[in-house]
Amino acid sequence: MNTGQVISGLGHIGLIGWAFLGAFKAEPLPFDVTAVSVISGAEFDALYAPQSQPETVTQVAMPPEPATEIEAVAPTVEDTLPATEAPETVAEPDPEILPEVQPVVPTPAPDLADSDPVIPNQDFAVAAPDLSTRPVPRPSERVAPEPVAIPEPDARPDPVEQEAVTPDESTEVETTAEETEATAPEEATTEIVTEAEEPSGTMTTSLRPPRSRPTPPVRQAGEAPSATDNADVLAALQSAEVAQSDTQPSAAPAGPPMSAGEKDTLRVAVSSCWNVGSLSSDALNTTVVVGVAMDEAARPVTASIRMLSFSGGTEAAARQAYEAARRAIIRCGAKGYELPPEKYAHWKDIEMTFNPERMRIK
Amino acid sequence: MRMMRALLTGFSLVLATAAVAQQGPLRIEITEGVIEPLPFAVPDFVPETQGSAEIGRQIARVIAQDLTGTGLFRELPSTAFISQVNSFQAPVQYPDWKAINAQALITGAVAVTGNQVSVKFRLFDVFSGAEMGNGLQFNGTTDGVRRIAHKVADAVYSRITGEGGYFDSRVVYVSESGPKGDRRKRLAIMDYDGANTQYLTGSDALVLAPRFSPTGDRVLYTSYETGSPRIYVLDVGTVSRRVLETGNATMSFAPRFAPDGQTVVYSLVNGGNTDIFRLSLGNGQTTRLTRAPSIETAPSFSPDGSQIVFESDRSGTQQLYIMAANGGEARRISFGTGRYGTPVWSPRGDLIAFTKQSRGRFHIGVMRTDGSEERLLTASFLDEGPTWSPNGRVIMFHRVTQGAAGRSTLYSVDITGRNLRPVQTPEGGSDPAWGPLQR
Repeated sequence: MNTGQVISGLGHIGLIGWAFLGAFKAEPLPFDVTAVSVISGAEFDALYAPQSQPETVTQVAMPPEPATEIEAVAPTVEDTLPATEAPETVAEPDPEILPEVQPVVPTPAPDLADSDPVIPNQDFAVAAPDLSTRPVPRPSERVAPEPVAIPEPDARPDPVEQEAVTPDESTEVETTAEETEATAPEEATTEIVTEAEEPSGTMTTSLRPPRSRPTPPVRQAGEAPSATDNADVLAALQSAEVAQSDTQPSAAPAGPPMSAGEKDTLRVAVSSCWNVGSLSSDALNTTVVVGVAMDEAARPVTASIRMLSFSGGTEAAARQAYEAARRAIIRCGAKGYELPPEKYAHWKDIEMTFNPERMRIK
Repeated sequence: MRMMRALLTGFSLVLATAAVAQQGPLRIEITEGVIEPLPFAVPDFVPETQGSAEIGRQIARVIAQDLTGTGLFRELPSTAFISQVNSFQAPVQYPDWKAINAQALITGAVAVTGNQVSVKFRLFDVFSGAEMGNGLQFNGTTDGVRRIAHKVADAVYSRITGEGGYFDSRVVYVSESGPKGDRRKRLAIMDYDGANTQYLTGSDALVLAPRFSPTGDRVLYTSYETGSPRIYVLDVGTVSRRVLETGNATMSFAPRFAPDGQTVVYSLVNGGNTDIFRLSLGNGQTTRLTRAPSIETAPSFSPDGSQIVFESDRSGTQQLYIMAANGGEARRISFGTGRYGTPVWSPRGDLIAFTKQSRGRFHIGVMRTDGSEERLLTASFLDEGPTWSPNGRVIMFHRVTQGAAGRSTLYSVDITGRNLRPVQTPEGGSDPAWGPLQR
């Protein structure tokens, strides 16, 4: 047996012996101790028996009845109101005095005379119950505080707007201009409503208000564009203008291209004079392309108006459609269309396609 | 920064490209217009002979009434005229007519020699500053001045609208007088506008449903002269008439000419069944076109004479059907709610007018020949009996008002449903039939 084994055996024996002798005995955890008394079963039953089986009460003592004759005591002011100045009046009626029965007098027929009702001159504030009065609207001014100028007479509706012509008294001309009424574009509809489709008096829903056009962003005062942006944008625009000027043979002002809004303005202007009401159904099936040259005042050159092409109808129908288109161009361009003068090169020649598809008679 | 420059360079290139592309004209497309009467001016026609001023004024008035009656034109009053037309050959002062917004100007002159009258006119497009077509001259007699004026109006209407006119045409109808319980009916013929009414029959027998021949010289109608309905043919020129031999049946009614004028279709009651027959006026041969146990009536030819539209209750309700002119299988074309009747084929061939009863009201309507695009033009207590103008643009019908004192009145309406207006007749009127343009 070698020495190591002996030492190991002795060590283990010592460790085991030390453990048995209480080397690992820990301190006890703290705890509270409550004394519990032990009761017997009889005591337990005696303790809970009154709760499970209540004692039956055969007679319950009634409270003493109040006195039958109660003296009517007028409430004093002190009883009901705070110690402020009480109203003087409110006399309580005597309960012992019965009101005399009055025969019902029929209500006299109302006087149907056309006169204002007479308001009795009596103060009802005393007898009236304390109710809130109906709100009285604030009086409004029925008459404008400032005199208003007499409106101008309505202009007679007319597709071509023109000013009123009145005789000029300052000049002595034998041929006096005949007095004519002012005219304004007539309101017209593109929708045909037949008698069978007319509303029968029922309520109709109002139309939604049109959406307002978005307004361009406004640069705030003091907000200056950056110098870098300006320089680059200007350089780009200049280069574009140079390229554009190279392609323009004429000296007419070119300017930037026509915007969609400017084209729409022209389109709407011509549309307002394009009267298809007198066209045949064949002509309403014909689309015509009309070319027109414009002068610098944005007026159509009448002699330049020509039909470039047509589709969808006979030649006779195309001729009628072209005549209506020609009248529209001339009529509404008599005073010049609203076109940007700086872009004359862009609208010097115009091709208008008159497509009556939406205006056809079903 | 480099990115910014690259973007700007690209932007400038796009602009340059757009500038190059801008070589051509500005192009816009117009799809919305207005529908409004075209303003026109028609000064009194210039009298070129002594005593013709009144005729010149009368002609101008008839022309103005014809054009404004269509709803497509609006007359400018003479008080608005700036310049006067004192000579037929004088140049037109376009600025003066433009100033009052006259888009069309009609000038004319009249010369009377004995009972002969000569009327000439010109039509100008004011805003174009040009004449529309060449001047025309009509010669006639003084008692035909209204017809001459109608012809001028037809020419103006045709030149502006591109479709034929209908002013120089006549209408045959049933004139009604007396209380509703004892109404007396007789055939009458008038100008399309209610003028020059003449009576073709007496009021001793009930008459119904007159129909013009394609040439306007004869009228078919149904009369109860013998106690039961029989078809008669009346010659308008001589006012002579004869019974149309339609076989041994007791009742025949609802006649209508074929476009060739040599064939008549009608309904015939035989053994309690009503069917459609056709009769050749040349040889008197009859042909049965329908063989259904239901009621088939109100036949109307297509303009080319190849088809017939009629009403039938074979489906259980009164509906419209189309069959070949020689009979055979019919196809139903009306499928809406309500009852359809009295179909009439448009002279253009594209539409069929009809009477519709739906929800307690009567309507005059039009639909395509395949039954599509049905469109009701009127609505009232009782609208019935549509008839087409010669150009297929206007429909005339009769309207009966409600109650014991209800009166039957002729009305006309544009096929768009606009311009609904009564036709002035001396008495009440029903069952109108529009004749062709007079020659």
